[in-house]
Amino acid sequence: MSGGRILAIDDDPQIRRALRATLTAHGYQVNDSRSGEEGLEEVRNATYDVVLLDMNMPGMGGMETCRLIRSGSDVVIIMLTVDNTERHKVDTLDAGADDYITKPFSMPELLARIRAALRRMPQLPSQSDLHSLTAQGVNIDLSSREVTVNGSTSRLTAREFDLLSYFLSRPNRTIAHRELLQAVWGPDYGDELEYLRVFVNRLRKKIEPDSSKPVFLVTDAWAGYRFHLPQ
Amino acid sequence: MVPNVEASTSNVSTRQDEPRSGSSSSLIKTSVLFLRVSASLALVAAVTFILFRLVSVNATTAGFLYLVAILLIATKGGLIESSVASVAAMLCFNFFFLPPVGTLTIAAPQNWVALFAFLATSLTASQLSVRAKRRTQEAVERRSEIEKLYSLSRALLLTDATGPDAKQIVQQITLTCEFPTVSLYVRKSGEIHSAGIVTPDLHAKLRESAVRSTLVRDESVDVIITPIRLGGEPIGSLAVSGGTFSDAALHSLLNLVAIGLERASAQKAVTRAEVARQSEELKSTLLDAIAHEFKTPLTSIKAVTTDLLAEQPSSLQAHHQELITIVDESTDRLSKLVTDAIQLARIEGGTFRLNLAVHFPSSLVNGALRQMKSMLEERPIYIAVPEDLPPVRVDAELIQIVITHLLDNALKYSPPSHPISIEASVSDDKVILRLRDQGQGIPEQEQSQVFEKFFRGRNERHLKGTGMGLSIAREIMRAHGEDIWLTSSPDEGSEFSFSLPIAPKGSVE
Repeated sequence: MSGGRILAIDDDPQIRRALRATLTAHGYQVNDSRSGEEGLEEVRNATYDVVLLDMNMPGMGGMETCRLIRSGSDVVIIMLTVDNTERHKVDTLDAGADDYITKPFSMPELLARIRAALRRMPQLPSQSDLHSLTAQGVNIDLSSREVTVNGSTSRLTAREFDLLSYFLSRPNRTIAHRELLQAVWGPDYGDELEYLRVFVNRLRKKIEPDSSKPVFLVTDAWAGYRFHLPQ
Repeated sequence: MVPNVEASTSNVSTRQDEPRSGSSSSLIKTSVLFLRVSASLALVAAVTFILFRLVSVNATTAGFLYLVAILLIATKGGLIESSVASVAAMLCFNFFFLPPVGTLTIAAPQNWVALFAFLATSLTASQLSVRAKRRTQEAVERRSEIEKLYSLSRALLLTDATGPDAKQIVQQITLTCEFPTVSLYVRKSGEIHSAGIVTPDLHAKLRESAVRSTLVRDESVDVIITPIRLGGEPIGSLAVSGGTFSDAALHSLLNLVAIGLERASAQKAVTRAEVARQSEELKSTLLDAIAHEFKTPLTSIKAVTTDLLAEQPSSLQAHHQELITIVDESTDRLSKLVTDAIQLARIEGGTFRLNLAVHFPSSLVNGALRQMKSMLEERPIYIAVPEDLPPVRVDAELIQIVITHLLDNALKYSPPSHPISIEASVSDDKVILRLRDQGQGIPEQEQSQVFEKFFRGRNERHLKGTGMGLSIAREIMRAHGEDIWLTSSPDEGSEFSFSLPIAPKGSVE
């Protein structure tokens, strides 16, 4: 099985060794870096599908590395972290990570997360089913994954694109949290409300003219989210 | 200055000598007055001698010169001397200058008028002069008081950054206001700082004045004890002796002391808060470092063991599989120990803040069950948490920690085939969550101890566990202002219950 190219960034040599040995055995091509600075350089020079990034590193910490990688790349970032408090998880996702896993983790769990990150949605609607959006100064170009709001353009990451596509294929309908999580992240997910909260916020920042007063991506309290598509 | 001089002997002698010392001081006063009266009479006599013997003047001139002498006496002396001198001058004026000379009778009626005009003028002039003198003296005293208060306020404001403490305030009052005795009682700390001679009962009187918020005067030793108030609340009391301060000046002095004490106490509070904040930060940093240092090696061990065990079909020999399983389980145990210890330290050390939000009880229970998924796989779990229970306002993460610790306990202390039940219901304005196992139950004598840190039941010492779970659960419930309790009887299992506050109506996610 050939999964893809993975970069493991962690200051602990034993963890790097363990990750390289096990991930290679599962068919991935693995490279590693000892620090945030080194990892950032590596991401700029080569193409990776997934970055496994340790949170707690000397020098440039994991959070800052995550921000810098995200500012220049759409690569999937999975954070490896010791702290499992919700605030910390939200901060991690806010910094641009796609997912996180708490240390010490089991290898099957990490593999499942990598698979989920790499998997394109099987139920991803085809382009023809999507309602493209050109309204109120907002234009979403689904082929290039670019969003233009009032003249300024931003690019969506793969996960953001998947989430938006799912919304656009079911406009004006309240979609439950669990349904969104399982459709976009995979069947192992369902209770990670903080993922949705952070990703919906990220999408709002990119597609809403005013992200604090969303007109497209609206919250239906306790039920889920709804994409309001002007008729 | 001699602080805290307990002059008990001198006090005793002062008390014994009280009548004598009182009479001796009045004797001195009387003799001084006698001397001054004599001096003024002598001046009148001298004027009379000069005018009658040395220079010959008429009655009018003599009257004016007597008036000048009276004014001089009034300026230098008091009302008594000038009044006595006025009467003496009137008699001399009559005897030596008004005809018939050499007698105290007056022939011409107009001379009666002159004589009484002279007496009235000299008495009025003496009174005016004395009053003016008193005013001047008062003005000088007020100025001196203001100067003292100003230098005291300067001294109190310019004390070092930590602010003036009670001892420094006493020193500054003694230096600037020159009271022989100064004693300050601070109610909050109960301390008394004194300078000068202190009588033994002064401390009791200071406390009494502060408690009753009343002014106490001790005339016998010339001490005045006044309460120090701040915003109407007595915060201490101040005793001063031998002072010449007016009531207004004393009031200002008390205000200065009150402000000084308040400043000192505010400064101390700020310092304490800063120290507490720094120690909290240090503790938090230390805990993070420990968590990281322990969990990093555990991560590589766990990655290896789980990968080896996950292989399907396994290439390991049966005994290798068993050995790796032991390593894997021990890793979990060590990891849980570190997590529990850090949780407990954080919660006990107060380095966490409640992140209160509105949640449905069912989602809290589901979240906890999901965290425990791998451990619950083969255990029958009966869940009766209705979806339509009202939402509660809690820190979801912490409540899930409580549920996972209770589940963990139930798993450990009941046989694998026996179901665990989780139920919830509404009681008053709370949602009560109950978690029941069908284990051996907890003996009555141990029930009060199960929430204590590191407590392990007599029969359960062989089981894996850290003895911290229930203690963490109790601390979390306490932080929410809620209860956790146990109902258990031997052979019927145990039921742990805790209450969650229902969120106010209208609150949404």
